[in-house]
Amino acid sequence: MPKGIHGSITPFLGEMLLNRSLDDPAVMRATEESTDYPILPWANVVKIGGQSIMDRGRSAVYPLIDEIVANLPEHKMILGTGAGTRARHIYAMAIDLGLPTGVLTVLGTAVAWQNAQMLHYLLARHGIPFVLPEAFNSLPHYLMDRGAVVTQGMPPYKLWEQNPAIGRIPPQRTDTGCFLVAEVFGARKMIYVKDEDGLFTADPKKDPSARFIPRIALEELLALDLDDLVVERAVLELMANARHIHEIQFVNGLKPGQLTAALRGEPVGTVIYRDKTQVRWEGSQR
Amino acid sequence: MNNGDSGARHVKSALMRESLVDRAVIARSESRVRPILPHLNVINIGGSSIMDRGASALLPLIDEIVENQPRHAQLIGTGAGIRSRHIFSVGLDLGLPTGALATLSAKDAAQNAYMVSCLLARHGFVYLEAPFIVQLLPAMLAAARGAVFNGVPPYDLWEHPPALGKIPPHRTDAGAYLVAEVFGARKVIFLKDVDGLYTADPVSNPDATLIPQISVEKLLAMELPTLPVDRVVIELLARARLAKEIQIVNGLVPGNLTRALAGEPVGSVIHA
Repeated sequence: MPKGIHGSITPFLGEMLLNRSLDDPAVMRATEESTDYPILPWANVVKIGGQSIMDRGRSAVYPLIDEIVANLPEHKMILGTGAGTRARHIYAMAIDLGLPTGVLTVLGTAVAWQNAQMLHYLLARHGIPFVLPEAFNSLPHYLMDRGAVVTQGMPPYKLWEQNPAIGRIPPQRTDTGCFLVAEVFGARKMIYVKDEDGLFTADPKKDPSARFIPRIALEELLALDLDDLVVERAVLELMANARHIHEIQFVNGLKPGQLTAALRGEPVGTVIYRDKTQVRWEGSQR
Repeated sequence: MNNGDSGARHVKSALMRESLVDRAVIARSESRVRPILPHLNVINIGGSSIMDRGASALLPLIDEIVENQPRHAQLIGTGAGIRSRHIFSVGLDLGLPTGALATLSAKDAAQNAYMVSCLLARHGFVYLEAPFIVQLLPAMLAAARGAVFNGVPPYDLWEHPPALGKIPPHRTDAGAYLVAEVFGARKVIFLKDVDGLYTADPVSNPDATLIPQISVEKLLAMELPTLPVDRVVIELLARARLAKEIQIVNGLVPGNLTRALAGEPVGSVIHA
C-alpha cells in the first residue's frame, strides 16, 4: 500500500479505518506496517515471585531487597509482584463456592496487591512508590526520579478475565500482567525472579530427573509440549505476537547476584526467545 | 539440588504448593459455576451502528429501554464509534502500542455511555465505571432495574497485542459479552444496524441471507471475512460456562429489543 513521504499513515489508511470493520483483514494488515514508539525503553520489568519468593519471608526477600537497592543507580525497575499461597487458598475456596473465573481474578488480584504492598514497605525508605494500574500515568516520573516502582503483577482485567479452555483458574495472572507491562512500554528487559535456576523439562521440586534448559526458542518450547512450565502459558501466546519483547529471562532469586547479572545482560538462568527470523505473519519480518 | 519449599510458608488448600500451570492441576479445577445475576440482560448499543447516527437512532431505543424497565433488568453497554477510528488513526501514526490505543479508545465508549446515562437518568440509570460494575451493580439493579456501563473492557495498557496489526482485539462487544458471562446473564443482545448475521456481506451481496441461528463451530467453518460483532467474541463464546448464546438484532427497528428481551426469535443467535 502507498506510504506517505515520512512513512506515516496516509489518508487512505485513515479512510479504511473510518469505514471498514476493524476485524477486516485488510485493515489489520495495513496497521501491521505502522511504526512502534517504545514508551519506556530504558525500563526493566522485574517480576518478584509470589509463592517462590514473597511467601518465603525474610530469608528470601531481604537479600533481594538489598540487591534491588544496589542496582537502583544503574537500572530502572518496574517491580511486579506475584500472588502465591494465599491466592491458591482463595481460588480453591471460590471454586468450591461455584464462583466464576472473573471473580477468582478479582480475588487473586488482592493477593498480588498484598505482596506489592509489603515489598513497597521494605523499599519505602528509598522513596519507591507502589503504583496501581489506575495511576500508571505517574510511573515515568517515579521511575526517573526514584529509579523503581512497585506494582502488583495481575492485569487489571477484574471480572473481565476470559475463561480458561479447561477448568476455572484465571489464565492470565501475574507473569502475564508483568509481561504486558514490559511489552506495552517497549521495556529493555522482562526478568522473572523465581526460586528455581530457570526452566526445566519438569518441575524439579517433584521430578529429580528434570533437565535444566538454559536457552530455548519459543517455538521449540511449545513443541516440547511440557505438562508444566515455569511461566504462565498465556505469556508464551502473547510473546508470539509481541512487537517489542522478544525474550524473557528466568533467574533464581534465592541465589544472590542472579538478578544483577540478568540486568547487566549476562547469560544466567533461562532465556526464552522468539526467533526474529520467524515471520510474524506472511509478508512481514519482525 | 534445591531446598524445595522448606522456606516457604503455605496456607492449607486443595491447590497448596501446586503449579497453576500444571495441566493436571488445571483439569482438576473444573467445577460447576453459579450465575451471580441470572435475571440480568446485557445489551450493547453499537457505536458506529447506532450511537453515531445520533438522536434518530438513539432516542427511540431509549424509549424502548424505558418501556422494558418494569419487566427486565437491563445493563446497557455502549460502543465507541467513529471517534475511536480517528484516535486509532492518530495513535498508529504516532507509533503508539496496542495497549495505549485500547486505553484511548475506552474514553470514546465512556463518553457514549455517559450520554446514554444522562438520557436515562430520570429513570434511575447511572453510568458505572469498571470498579463499580464489580462492587455496586447489584445495588443499582435493585434500585433502578438498570444501569449503563462502558462496553470496552478495562484491559487498558494490558490489552493483547493482536496476531496481525495493532488494533485492540477486545473492544466493546467483547467487554459486554464478558460482563454477561461472569454474571451469568440471561441474555446478551447486540444492537446493530443490520438485521443480524448474514451468509455474506449484505451490502455487496444481494443474495446474502439472514442466519437465524448458528453454532460457533459452524460459524467458524463458514470463514466469513467480517462479522457484525468483534471477532474475539466468538472465541470467548466457545469457552462460555454461563452465557452460552449471543443475539444480534437491528436496533434501528422499533420493537426488536423488546422481542429479544421477551425471548422471541429476532435477528441472529450464535450459540456455543
